[in-house]
Amino acid sequence: MLDYSILIEHWDMYMQGFANTLKASVLALIGSLAIGTVMAVFRIAPIRALNWIGAAYVEFIRNIPLILIVFVFFVGLPAIGIRFDSFTAGTLGLTVYTAAFIAEVIRAGILAVPKGQMEAARSSGLTYLQAMWHVILPQAVKIVIPPMGNQFINLVKNSSVLGVIAGLDLMYFGDLISSETFVTFDVYIFVALFYLLLTIPLSLGVGALERRLAKSR
Amino acid sequence: MIYFHQLNKHYGDFHVLKDINLTIKQGEVVVIIGPSGSGKSTLVRCINRLETITSGELIVDGVKVNDKNTDINKLRRNIGMVFQNFNLYPHKTVLQNITLAPMKVLGVSEQEAKETAMYYLEKVGIPDKANAYPTALSGGQQQRVAIARGLAMKPKIMLFDEPTSALDPETIGEVLDVMKTLAREGMTMVVVTHEMGFAREVADRIVFMDQGRILEEAPPEQFFANPREERARLFLSRILNH
Repeated sequence: MLDYSILIEHWDMYMQGFANTLKASVLALIGSLAIGTVMAVFRIAPIRALNWIGAAYVEFIRNIPLILIVFVFFVGLPAIGIRFDSFTAGTLGLTVYTAAFIAEVIRAGILAVPKGQMEAARSSGLTYLQAMWHVILPQAVKIVIPPMGNQFINLVKNSSVLGVIAGLDLMYFGDLISSETFVTFDVYIFVALFYLLLTIPLSLGVGALERRLAKSR
Repeated sequence: MIYFHQLNKHYGDFHVLKDINLTIKQGEVVVIIGPSGSGKSTLVRCINRLETITSGELIVDGVKVNDKNTDINKLRRNIGMVFQNFNLYPHKTVLQNITLAPMKVLGVSEQEAKETAMYYLEKVGIPDKANAYPTALSGGQQQRVAIARGLAMKPKIMLFDEPTSALDPETIGEVLDVMKTLAREGMTMVVVTHEMGFAREVADRIVFMDQGRILEEAPPEQFFANPREERARLFLSRILNH
């Protein structure tokens, strides 16, 4: 049986960790969607230099372990005078890392939109970016919802990397409670339950959205 | 209005358009016919630079289409285009499909764009579909929306790239009727089509293409009664006698 007294006695710590994990996830999600969309468009836009930047970003970032990218923000940049607190460093690392995967998902979505859509939009006088924004991306978003859901769930779980650099997230407080109480199993079971509290609704939400959009067309 | 001079286009090793010389005047309706793969669509798509050219000259509305300094988006405002597969935006309503470019490109207010859109929807005969999504429409209706979408920019030229090829036979007529009205009103039109009845009735000139070349250019009565080129004769006999 689980020892619920641990949960009750350390409720404040669990809550603080939960709140920070949620906050880091939401911030990283918004940031990585923005960067990922820009990089995806870079990879596809008819400008060679941008293609190269987009490809370089994706290939470098997604082939390096997340923790190393977090270290860049946590110990690398401070070495040249740019400092962040550990929560910010962790969230930035998570954002930059996830953006590479999101870029690939969005790129696949853009390529799945029939070519005639861009031609119709451009032939009416819209600029490339206007056509992308008003015509292509809204259609690409529908296509990429299922793989995007996976990326979001990965993001929430990957936010546990903050624990390694004292980023005040769920994992960090789990470690703290465990070393205070010398209880391991129960403490981390509760940590896992809090993660599920985020990821299960997220995956249900994505599923519901997918069904709604499938119906609308 | 549209002037091709010694225009050539290659796709890699494939020579798609060969020494094209063609002049289209304002208000003229030119119908381009020919077997598939003859370069008809490519020719039309050069006019608004959906295709680039390899050599030669192409001047549209006084502007060198392929010049580096040409603002292509500005030129495209004046050239409406209708595609074989309609290419309506599936995530937007009929009205939104039509108002997008006028609002974003011409900077027209939403109210004005809607009024213009409704005017052209009336004109193509489906004002009742304004708030429907394209997928709820028949092919003929979708193509008429696409024409309204092009017209809403008040273009000087309309390009039609096989506008009825993807349609059910029974909806072809409604699209051709809209195009005939447009032609009568003096729109400059370049039409790629296999509809010989339409060509005969509406065209000021027929351009016959084969293997990337313009083989013959003639008024429709002359072309259909007595084509000069053997290849044109063969083509006509194949598509008219069935």
